Amino acid sequence: MLFKNFKTTRSTRFLLLLMLSIVIGLANAAIFYSLAFSSTVSITNPTVIFVQGEDGSGVVSIGSNSSTASLTLAAYPNITLTYEQPLNISNTDAASHDFRFRHLTISPANGTADVGNFSYICFTILDASGISQATFNYTTSGNDWITPATMDPYETLPANTQWVVYIETMAAASAQDVSASITIAVDVQ
Amino acid sequence: MLPELFAMLASDLFLLLSLMTCLLDEKVPKALPYVFQVAALSGFGHLLISRIFFIEFDVNMRFWYNVFYLGVALTNIVAVNAYLAFAKKEWKVARLWSSAVTFPTIAITLIATTNYGFAFDSTLPPLLIPALLTFSLILLSVSTAVLLGSKVINRIKGGD
Repeated sequence: MLFKNFKTTRSTRFLLLLMLSIVIGLANAAIFYSLAFSSTVSITNPTVIFVQGEDGSGVVSIGSNSSTASLTLAAYPNITLTYEQPLNISNTDAASHDFRFRHLTISPANGTADVGNFSYICFTILDASGISQATFNYTTSGNDWITPATMDPYETLPANTQWVVYIETMAAASAQDVSASITIAVDVQ
Repeated sequence: MLPELFAMLASDLFLLLSLMTCLLDEKVPKALPYVFQVAALSGFGHLLISRIFFIEFDVNMRFWYNVFYLGVALTNIVAVNAYLAFAKKEWKVARLWSSAVTFPTIAITLIATTNYGFAFDSTLPPLLIPALLTFSLILLSVSTAVLLGSKVINRIKGGD
């Protein structure tokens, strides 16, 4: 009965619609601003990557996303064994990028007698004109590896350029033919 | 600039339509203000969907469904204008509506859309901007003519 007698005038209807409009408008604005101020992180393929070099067959295995490389390297007693171009580092982007190498794993493991057979494994990064830009060296102390520190500072690889990673190995005079497996990663800045 | 701006603009236009048609309740169907409120609420749905599927939907897709919703809002404004003018023969109200609602909303929409087009370089088809500007000029001419009224037109024609 109460509702039957309740007559809505234009002003009450307008007031009701106005209140609803304010609520809807505020809700829309809240959603819009939450969209506008939410940060997005896009995941893209890396632009500085490892590429197998001309001498890399059977030596290099490129990891997922081409951001890691595993190398199986031999060493001869008291003789320097050179891998001229087993691995390349390539910038596929139209802008230059800074990069560095980071040690991940090595075998044989520390503490085994095989480690003592190695004298060194030296990585040298050569630019497009063959000039050394950085080194990344593994040496031994008894039966333990002395792994290289992460490269510091970063090296700058120009746009659409490929540099060569040149490797030299040597084993101790008393060693037999030995091999080591190394995995390295490339960090891009 | 997010394409969801168009959905928010369209939703606000529906709210404006709702309030305006409430004030003109003797000249338009009684249910119309509530229909426009529901249409405004669907704009909230648009924004909510954009928020949930922000990563999955690319910017092109979001642009087109938001612009479509804005187009629907503008069509409703023009339709109410035409309804008042031709179905109800309320020339004075239609004239007022044309100059106070239809023209400003289309002008604001044009500015927002062209601004978005320039910001994103090639998002809009190249002919769309000149076409919309031409349409805007025609609408401005018509609005001016309607606003001046038949008396002025008659005077121009050589009447009293």
